[in-house]
Parts: sequence; C-alpha cells; structure tokens
Amino acid sequence: MSGMRGLSVFISDIRNCQNKEAERLRVDKELGNIRTCFKNDKGLTPYKKKKYVWKMLYIHMLGYDVDFGHMEAVSLISAPKYPEKQVGYIVTSCLLNENHDFLRLAINAVRNDIIGRNETYQCLALTLVGNIGGREFAESLAPDVQKLLISSSCRPLVRKKAALCLLRLFRKNPDVVNADGWADRMAQLLDERDLGVLTSSMSLLVSLVSNDYEGYSSCLPKCVKILERLARNQDVPQEYTYYGIPSPWLQVKTMRALQYFPTIEDPSTRRSLFEVLQRILMGTDVVKNVNKNNASHAVLFEALSLVMHLNAEKEMMSQCVALLGKFISVREPNIRYLGLENMTRMLMITDAQDIIKKHQPQIITSLKDPDISIRRRALDLLYGMCDVSNAKGIVEELLQYLSTAEFSMREELSLKAAILAEKFAPDLSWYVDVILQLIDNAGDFVSDDIWFRVVQFVTNNEDLQPYAASKVREYMDKIAIHETMVKVSAYILGEYGHLLARRPGCSARELFGILHEKLPTVSSPTIPLLLSTYAKLLMHAQPPDIELQKQIWNVFKKYESSIDVEIQQRAVEYFELSKKGAALMDVLAEMPKFPERQSSLIKKVEDVEDTADQSAIKLRAQQLPSNALVLADPQPVNGTPPPLKVPSISGIKLDHESASQTQSQPNGDLSKAQSQIPSADLVGEMVDSLAIEAPPVDMGSHQRVYREEDGIPDEVDGTAIVPIGDQANKVEPIGNITERFNALCLKDSGVLYEDPYIQIGVKAEWRGHHGRLVLFLGNKVTSPLTSVQALILPPAHLKLELSLVPDTIPPRAQVQCPLEVMNIRPSRDVAVLDFSYKFGTSMVSAKLRLPAVLNKFLQPLQLTSEEFFPQWRSLSGPPLKLQEVVRGVRPLSLPEMENLFNSFRVTICPGLDPNPNNLVASTTFYSENTRPMLCLARIETDPADRTQLRLTVASGDSTLTFELKEFIKEQLIAIPMGSRALVPAVPVPAAPLAQPPSPAVDANDPGAMLAGLL
Amino acid sequence: MPVAASAIYFLNLRGDVLINRTYRDDVGGNMVDAFRTHIMQTKELGNCPVRQIGGCSFVYMRISNVYIVTVVSSNANVACGFKFVVEAVALFKSYFGGAFDEDAIKNNFVLIYELLDEIMDFGYPQNLSPEILKLYITQEGVRSPFSSKPKDKPVPNATLQVTGAVGWRREGLSYKKNEVFLDIVESVNLLMSSKGNVLRCDVTGKVLMKCFLSGMPDLKLGLNDKIGLEKESEMKSRPAKSGKTIELDDVTFHQCVNLTRFNSEKTVSFVPPDGEFELMKYRITEGVNLPFRVLPTIKELGRTRMEVNVKVKSVFGAKMFALGVVVKIPVPKQTAKTNFQVTSGRAKYNPSIDCLVWKIRKFPGQTESTLSAEIELISTMGEKKSWTRPPIQMEFQVPMFTASGLRVRFLKVWEKSGYNTVEWVRYITKAGSYEIRC
Repeated sequence: MSGMRGLSVFISDIRNCQNKEAERLRVDKELGNIRTCFKNDKGLTPYKKKKYVWKMLYIHMLGYDVDFGHMEAVSLISAPKYPEKQVGYIVTSCLLNENHDFLRLAINAVRNDIIGRNETYQCLALTLVGNIGGREFAESLAPDVQKLLISSSCRPLVRKKAALCLLRLFRKNPDVVNADGWADRMAQLLDERDLGVLTSSMSLLVSLVSNDYEGYSSCLPKCVKILERLARNQDVPQEYTYYGIPSPWLQVKTMRALQYFPTIEDPSTRRSLFEVLQRILMGTDVVKNVNKNNASHAVLFEALSLVMHLNAEKEMMSQCVALLGKFISVREPNIRYLGLENMTRMLMITDAQDIIKKHQPQIITSLKDPDISIRRRALDLLYGMCDVSNAKGIVEELLQYLSTAEFSMREELSLKAAILAEKFAPDLSWYVDVILQLIDNAGDFVSDDIWFRVVQFVTNNEDLQPYAASKVREYMDKIAIHETMVKVSAYILGEYGHLLARRPGCSARELFGILHEKLPTVSSPTIPLLLSTYAKLLMHAQPPDIELQKQIWNVFKKYESSIDVEIQQRAVEYFELSKKGAALMDVLAEMPKFPERQSSLIKKVEDVEDTADQSAIKLRAQQLPSNALVLADPQPVNGTPPPLKVPSISGIKLDHESASQTQSQPNGDLSKAQSQIPSADLVGEMVDSLAIEAPPVDMGSHQRVYREEDGIPDEVDGTAIVPIGDQANKVEPIGNITERFNALCLKDSGVLYEDPYIQIGVKAEWRGHHGRLVLFLGNKVTSPLTSVQALILPPAHLKLELSLVPDTIPPRAQVQCPLEVMNIRPSRDVAVLDFSYKFGTSMVSAKLRLPAVLNKFLQPLQLTSEEFFPQWRSLSGPPLKLQEVVRGVRPLSLPEMENLFNSFRVTICPGLDPNPNNLVASTTFYSENTRPMLCLARIETDPADRTQLRLTVASGDSTLTFELKEFIKEQLIAIPMGSRALVPAVPVPAAPLAQPPSPAVDANDPGAMLAGLL
Repeated sequence: MPVAASAIYFLNLRGDVLINRTYRDDVGGNMVDAFRTHIMQTKELGNCPVRQIGGCSFVYMRISNVYIVTVVSSNANVACGFKFVVEAVALFKSYFGGAFDEDAIKNNFVLIYELLDEIMDFGYPQNLSPEILKLYITQEGVRSPFSSKPKDKPVPNATLQVTGAVGWRREGLSYKKNEVFLDIVESVNLLMSSKGNVLRCDVTGKVLMKCFLSGMPDLKLGLNDKIGLEKESEMKSRPAKSGKTIELDDVTFHQCVNLTRFNSEKTVSFVPPDGEFELMKYRITEGVNLPFRVLPTIKELGRTRMEVNVKVKSVFGAKMFALGVVVKIPVPKQTAKTNFQVTSGRAKYNPSIDCLVWKIRKFPGQTESTLSAEIELISTMGEKKSWTRPPIQMEFQVPMFTASGLRVRFLKVWEKSGYNTVEWVRYITKAGSYEIRC
C-alpha cells in the first residue's frame, strides 16, 4: 500500500474535513472521479485500478454507499501480483455478500487460487470463501477445500483456514459434506497433532454432528482421546495454554461435540471419558484471576452439560452439585449466577433433585441478593426444585419474600407461588390460605388467573366451601383490602356465604353490610360481581329479610341507570328477578362444577418461562431441519421441569391441543392487560357475563366456550365446526376447486387447492381396497403459516387415517402428510378435508373434497366374450342388475365415450356386442365387505339422439350395482359439463326398481353431510 | 409572550462554541453538548429548525459558517426568536462592516458581548436598531471627561432616543449633498412542469433605501400598486389611469412608516432612519413576468447512456440583459463521463452535487441558448431504482427588470429647510427557487 500517494492524499483530505458536510462533498467528488476513471478503463493501469479500489473501500468504510466498481474489484482477484490480488480479495469480501450475482464471476478465479500451489493465495481465497461463501460456492468449491484440508503437504495454516472455510460452506449447504465419505476423513483429522488445525476441525465436527450425528460414531473415541490428551496436558505447546489451562477452547468444543452423540455405549471409552470429566470437576476451583476463572469455568460448565447428557452415576452428579453449591456461596456475583443457572439445568435430571435440596437454605439466601439477575435465577431454581416435601417451606419463603421483592418481579413471583401452592398442596385448605395470603400481600400483582383458579377449586370441592367462606369473611374484617380480594370474597360469599349463616357475624344482612362497605372503593368491573353477590345473598336469606331486601333493592335501583352497560343490565335483571320470589331459586342456583382442565396458570408460566438453557440438546432441537415429522414432535426439548409437561394425547388430538395453546396465549395476555375483555379463562367468562343464567343454559354456554378454547377432540361435531365455516373467508382460492376436484377424480396426482398462501397437492396410489394419498402442503410465502389444522371428515364407507399435520408450515417449505384410505363398502359419498390455517392474523379455512371416490377402487379388467356372457346372464334382474334410460347426456361420439369410461377405470371390451352403437365394459371393484367383485356394464346409445342412452349395470352386490350405475350416470352427465349446476338435473333415483338398502345419507355422519352440502 | 430565550450560542460547523451568553438560569451549561450530539452530528440538521431535547427547545439557524442556537425552556414565540436572530445578525453586520462569519466573531469578541448585553434582557429582545445602538456602543475610544477640549455636540439623551417619537432617527443630521437611493429587489420563485405549465409562481420583493438627508425630512413614496392608485383617483375624483396596476399581497413596512396615514390615504409616508434600511416587503402571486423559459428534454438511452438537451430563452426586453445565469441540471448519481456542447457560456459536471452546472455570465434579452450533453453512466450493483429526476434549478439576476411590473411613480422629499434632493431608483430581479421539472 506504500507509495500510493493519491490514496493517502485522499485520506488526509477526509481527515482534515472540518465537518460532515465537507466530508460528504469530498467523497462525492472522489466518487465522481472514480466513476470517470473506471469508465475510461482503456488506459487503467493495474496500479491505478488498485488505488481506486482501495479508495472505494475507504469510502465504503466511512459509511457511504458504493454501488459500482464491483467488477473492477472482482477482476483484481485474478491479477497476477500479490498486492492487487490482496486488494481484490479484501474489497470483494467487504463490498459483496453471498447473495450478490457478481460473486459468480469470482468463483473461477477463487478456485484457481485454491487449487494453485501458492500458500498465500490459498489463504486469501479460503478467507474470502469463509467470509462470504454462499450456496454456489459450496457446490463448486467444497471438494477442493476438502482436498486441502486432508492434504498432508499443506502447512497447518492453510489447513486451519480450510477447515473453517468448509464449516462455512457446510452451513450454507449441508449437502456438500456427505457423512459416508467424510466420516473416516474427519476421524483422521482428529488424529492431528497441531492444536490449531484440531480446534478448527473440531468446530467443523460440532457443526456436522449437530446436523446429524449418524455416521460419525468413529469420531467419538477420538474426541475422548483428545480430551484425555488435553486433560493430562500431554504435548500441548505453550502457545495453546491459557493461564495454565491447556486450550480451553478445544476442550469446550470437544465436549460440545460429544453432547450431540447419544450416550456412549462402549465401556472403556465411557470410563476414560468419565475419568477426564472427573479430573475437570476435581481440578476446577475459584481463583483470584478473572481470566483464569472464565476459562476454567467455561470448561467446567461444558463438562457439566456433558455429565448431564451422559446420565452419569449419582456419585458424579452429587459431585457436580457439590461443586455448584460451592459456587453459589462465593461472593463474586457472576459465579453465583452461573452456579444457580446450572443448578436449574441440573434439575432436569431427577436424581439430582434430592442432592440440590441440600442447598435450599443457600438458594433462599440468594433471593435476597442485591443483584436482580441472581434473584431471578434463584426464584427459577426454587420453583423448579419444589416438590411435595419442601413445598410448604418454599411457598412460605416466597410469600415472605413477596413483600420485599421489587415490583418487576412480583407478578412472576406471585404466579409461581400460586402454581406451587396448587401443584404441591398437602391439603386444599392450605392452598386457599396461601392464595388468600398472596392476594392480601401483593394484590396488584396477582393476575386474574390466580383468583379464577382458586374459585374453581373452591367450587369443585364441596368440603372446602365453608372453610373458604369463613376465611374470606375473616379477611373482609381488615380495614383496607385489595380489590382482587373483594372480588374473591364477593364471589365466594355469594355462593357459599349461606353455609356460614349460623356463625356470628355471618348472617346475610351482615355479609351484605360488610361487602357493601367496599362498593364505593372498587372499580367498575368489580361492581357487577358485587351485584351478583347481593342477588345471591338475597336469595339465600332465609327466612326472607325484608330489611335486607329493601337495602338491596335500593342498590339495584341506584345502578339501574349506570352508564356501564354490564352493571345496568345486571341491576335491572336482578331487580326484576328478585321480585319473582321463589323463581329466583332456580335462576340463581349454585354454580355448577367446573370441568377439570389444565391450570391456565401453568400454561401462562410456560409462556413466561425464560429458559437460559443452552445445552447442546436444545441447540440440536433447534437446528434440526424443520420437516413435518420434527414439528409434530409432541415434546419440545426445553428446560422446563418435568411436572409441567402437557399430558400428551396421541394422534389428531395432539394437534388440537397445541393449536389451542398457541391460540390461547394472546388471550391470556389480553385478559391480563384489560380485564374488561372476556378472559380466556372459564371462570372469568362466567363471572363476567353468565352469572345470571340458570344452570342448564350456563352449562351449555360454558361447554361451548370450553370447546372453542381447548379444542378437545370430541367437539368435532356439527356445532363446533360451524364457527369456523362461517367465518368470512377473505382469502380467495386460485382456480376452481370443483374443477380441480373433478380432474383429480380421473387422475392420481395434481393440485387440490391453491390460494395466495398455500398450495395443496395430492398424490395417490391405489391398490385394491387400500389407498394411500399424500397431501403436499406447500407454503408459498416467506412467512410461516401457523395454526395449520387438517381434519378428515370421513363418510361411513371409508376408513381414513391422516398422519399428523404440523401446526406450522415454515416459509417456502412443503410438508407431506400421508393419508391411508380403506374402502369398506361401495358408496359415492366423498370424504371431506376440513383444512384451516392462519396467515398473520386472518384465519383461512377451506372444505375440500378428497378425491377418494368410487372409481379409485376399480381395477380395469378386460374380458373376452367367453368370460363376459356367462357372467352377464347369471346376474339377472334387479337388484343385481339395474337398467335405466338416461336422458340429458352430453352428446359424445363413441370413441370419446370409450375414453371417458377407460379414464375412470371401467374398461371397454370391444367387439363383444354385435351392435356397433353399443358399448360393453367390465371392471373389478374392491372393498373390504365385498371382496374383489366383478362389475359389468352395457351402454346402448342411439345414433339418432346422442343425448340419451340406456345403461345396464350388473354386479354381484346390489349396493354396488346401484352405486356404480349412479356413478356412471353422474360421469356421463356431470363431468362433460364440468359444473355441479347440472347435478340436480339428474333424475333422483325414482325407485323404478327395488331400492338398495344403504344409500340414504347417514344423518349423523358429518362428512357425508358436508359432502352433500358441497 | 416573546422569546424568553434562556441562552444564545454561536457555534462553528464543527460544533465548537465560539461565544455564548446565558440570560436565565433555567438551562444547564451542558445543553449545547446535547445540541451537538443530538442535532449537529445527525443527519437531521437542516431538516427542522426547531428541535426539542430534554425539555428544552433549540431554535437554530445557520448563517454562513456559524450556527446560532437559541435555547428556550418555556413555550416561546419561535417566529419572534428567528426574527431576533436575523435582526441581531444584521446588527453585527453593520458593526463589522458587512461580513458575519466565524472569523468576524473571533475578531470582535468584546463588541459582541457588549451588544448581546444590550439587545436582550432576561431573555426578552430589546432595541436592535443599529442607528441607535451605535450612539452608545461605539468602536472608537471614549474621550475622557477631564480632557480640556469642550464638547461641540450635546450629549445624546438616551431615554429620549429609546422612548421618543422618532426613535429611529437622530436629530441634527446634516449632509452637504442630500441623496436618496431606492432599490426594488425581487426574487422569483417558480416551479414549472416539464411541459411548461406553471405549477407554482410567486415573487417576493423588498424596497431597500439608503438615505443621506439632513434634518428631519418627510418622505412620500408612490408605487403603481392597485390600492394606492385607486385611492388617489378617488380622492382626486377622476378615473384611474388605464396603466398597469399591481396587486401587492402581504405588505409589511419598516417601523418608520406612518401607518395611520397609510390606512387613511394609502400612501407610504415616513421619516426615514439615517443610512440603509428596508422600507417594505411584499409578495405578488398573480401577473408575474417570468424572465426565462427553460425547455428540457432528457432521454435515458438504455442503462448506461443519457442525452440531455436544455434550451433556455430569455423573455425580457431586448435592451436588458441578465447576469450570472447558472443552470443546474441534475444527473443520476452514477454519472461517469460527460460531453457538452453549448451555444454560450461554460458547462461542467459537478459530482458533489450530482449536477451539470452551466454558467453564462451575460445573457441578453430575447435570445436563446442551448446545451446538449451526452452522459455515460457506470453500471451499479444496487437495485435498479429508476432515477427520480429532480428539477432543474436556475440562478440569475436581471437588472432594471421587475418580475412583478412594479414601478416607482414618485418619491417626494419634504423638509423644513426645503433643500434639494437627488433620488436614485434601481430595480433588480433575482432567482429565488426557480425550478423546472424534467
């Protein structure tokens, strides 16, 4: 670079600029100059070119756009001299990124340098590829880079770069490294003595095995050997020792790689690995030097993850926990944080739980740490380690802590305390105590979910009701209580206050008095609750208390003209109801029990959970290519403790579960932010709007709510489907769905449905009465489609089994869903696929007929006259042989008609019928009930009037004969017109013959009903 | 509520404080740092002249290479603030002899401090007229009261000057030769479509005067404006002359103009300050005579070539001529090579403003001149955004021409002593933002 006067003058000009504007003017002037020079490139000397390209780089680094001159930069790559080549490489890798088309021009020059003999050039080229290599680079350069990596003649420097370069290429295109061919070489590479090459090869290996560990098992012992070498500090050169620790980077990487393999089987390898781990665990301690601490702790924590991954013996575990226990008692906050975090991770292993419990006092002390991040970790850990044995202690500790905790943590804290209390309550009254105490202590931070949940519990447990009522009554005596407490108290006293009637101070009138005191202090969402309570108190007041009635009526009258509609409505309705006297009893009966369901609290905490878990297992789960199978995997590997698992349901249910979970999340948030909006939660729903309705109605409506929320499988009936179907379908399908379906009836593959976001293709194979349809769900856009649901509504005659449909289709990806079909008996009913997904916020749903129609179960069969006629004669008369004159047929010439028949697998047997205007056809029908069944057909056409013909169909089964005849008739009439509009024109089987038994549509069969509607 | 400025800062373009004066205690001393980091070093400088940071408003403007920043912490009258700054700059200029820039400030620190003390008090603007201030804040040495030489002039009475009836004029002036110079300076703003339709057009004009008159003269100015002429004909009860009359919008006068007489008689009569001042400002939106017509044709030939043809026609009188005509023709950023042919003047490509700059020193009336250029573009990597085609800009000065058609009908001077005066009248039209889309 020395001696480039123009460049240094330019740079000093820029540096001397007084202000930004002067700099911009100077840069623009220079850019104009460069443009002029590049345009006159006839006389551009290599020196000048180099100079201008450097200037371009300098301008680019100053933050200005340089959008020309890339050609010159790229052309410098192939220059013969080093200085120019260097500029070319540096500027190209700075100005371009992997998606630039221009890079294609460079590939060849780069390749020449890589396969060339000059080491310096090789390094330049490898660096460029390692920085900006894309797919195309991967395809064309990977073999050469691999060759460099394994060649024995290259210097370690080049091989080191080659390994990193290959890593980049592999990340861009995983196909470039094939496990079969490469595994052995990878293993050889791990024998390398040079630690630099080894470290970069290990990076490559980590990436390879994180993608797919199969095939690389030969590397496993080598990794262990490397660890041994490092741990024993054998032949580690000085420059790779960091504060006395032999290459901590390589150690960490090696252990990370080992975590991608399943547990090691080979006992000797396992033993030596454990020896190494033991050594690491033993040898690590907290020292003064920060850098040394960092390095040794990095190694230690990786070793811990490896220990966890390997499911090591209890002894080793307890050693780990002991070590961590030492960590959390250290003064240095970073180390304490790490200790707590890793203990949380250790919790995933059930064995460790008991050992960790020993440290409980220490962890509880951490709750009072001045550093909030440590407090959070401690809270997570406490939450995770809680079980029946220590729940009481921990929850009490949390409650105590709640009063001193800072505000940002209180909500989470109260939520967690509530969950722990619920999950590990030794008895229910304790639970009620805890929650009430919680509400009392931290009212503002207690989300609605918490008190909904306690109300649910109380409602569902009769023996708890008097206790809860008396407990809230006690709280009501306090002078200032939180509004949430008023809500709980009002609800519980309204429902169960009468159970206390005998006790002193608990008569209806007294309860009313004490509740009414609170009325002026509460906000408007609480007032309706209080009104309901008054109504209930009034009802329970036995014998009727005129004084109380008067007071309550006064309240109702006062609110009759409230500006809040909810309050107004309740006041008016309760007032009218309470005049009815005895009828009130029915309407205001006790709330029914809530159905048992997963606690919404737990769902909520699952959303909140921030698992700082970076274990290799998790990484692997994230890195797995997102194909349908993986996404359908029911249990995402994350750091949540085992009790939080969703009870897994198999098959299609699971799909619903996950979909409903994702749907309910926003709801949960909403209800938190704005309690006016009906909450996702059941109690919220009821408290908000349904309190007045009589139990049966109530039951019904909450049943509905329940279904919509949870999507449990038995809701798949008519009512549940309607809301989705009724939604305005804003996304217009591309093409005519009916036409697509008709085409697919004759073909085996094609597009079933398409709209701007998704394309659904079908490919089918049919064998006998079995069939296999594969649905290809292709996402056409660059954002994922969520809440994908596919539901088959099978008609009675088909048995359909749809494999799992993933909840999300990744951007521009295609997902395959196989569908097994079995035909039980002949029928023309069609299976319907109820398909819906969410794009952005809009829900799109479609009902699609599946092309599993009658003719798919036919097998073409050509008969000779000797075979045909005996059969034809043996099947005589209805119901086995049916004849009908069909009118309104689309005029077809005979060859056309033959084609039509052949296309739906009814083979025309030429020359059997003496009359050339008649066609004779045969086929075999497969179903589970009928077994292979021969079907014969005869079509007599009238050459004078092609719109009518006589159709005779015969088979060994009356239903089959009828269905097949109707089917052929439909084809003759409907298909050529390509529209459903003509279908009504088909003469409804006017029972000219004995009506075969089954074609009546089963009214209870939703699939059939829908198919009928379509 | 006037300005209530808390402080005023003078910064150079790098953001260094040249001089500052704090008038109130309600802003911290580091506010200027906030201005530097949040405004000067971002690209937003020049977008918006008022910015609010941390409860303070920064009202700033740039004059040559100096930023003048007024820091205001209350809800102040921003227009008043700008007016104050403009007037202050005019005052400084009259003290420094014309120039106001970084060097001028550095050379006159003491003077500026003195002036800043005087022109604003506790954040409220005070008297800014140079004539008055020059009486008290002088640049010459002060004669000692003990010096023997008796004073030949009475000591000026400060209170009378500030509160008196004619605060802008000192009494007892006398000149050997009584002269009045009157300039009408107009600037034309135009936006024209490529087809030649006028999209927006107006003229802002100023009447500038320079008086060297003795005593307390009373002046009366008559223009060919519509209201004045109508009023006159009404008073003389004869029909207005059929000559062209001009409708003036938004007229503002110097404080010396007697507004009651203007309201009743529609004549501009005044006792002028001594020296140079701006008598009135006006705006005209209708009946504008455009001095130049521009006919551009710009063809993009493929992605790397362009052809530019610009024809400029002068449409003012053949005896007149324009000076300093500059036509700036924008070209795309990736312009690499240019070839010109011009019938007059010189053209060159200026990459720092992405324009072809065509300069013609003298442009006679009723002539035309053309430029044709071939432009080669370099191919770029960026996404192929089509070029936005900014408008062509033009600068010029046409002496003795008014785009509005305004003429001085008379300028009468009346003084007790009845001396003779010489009146000089000059017209000039400049380009404001004169833009033609292409």
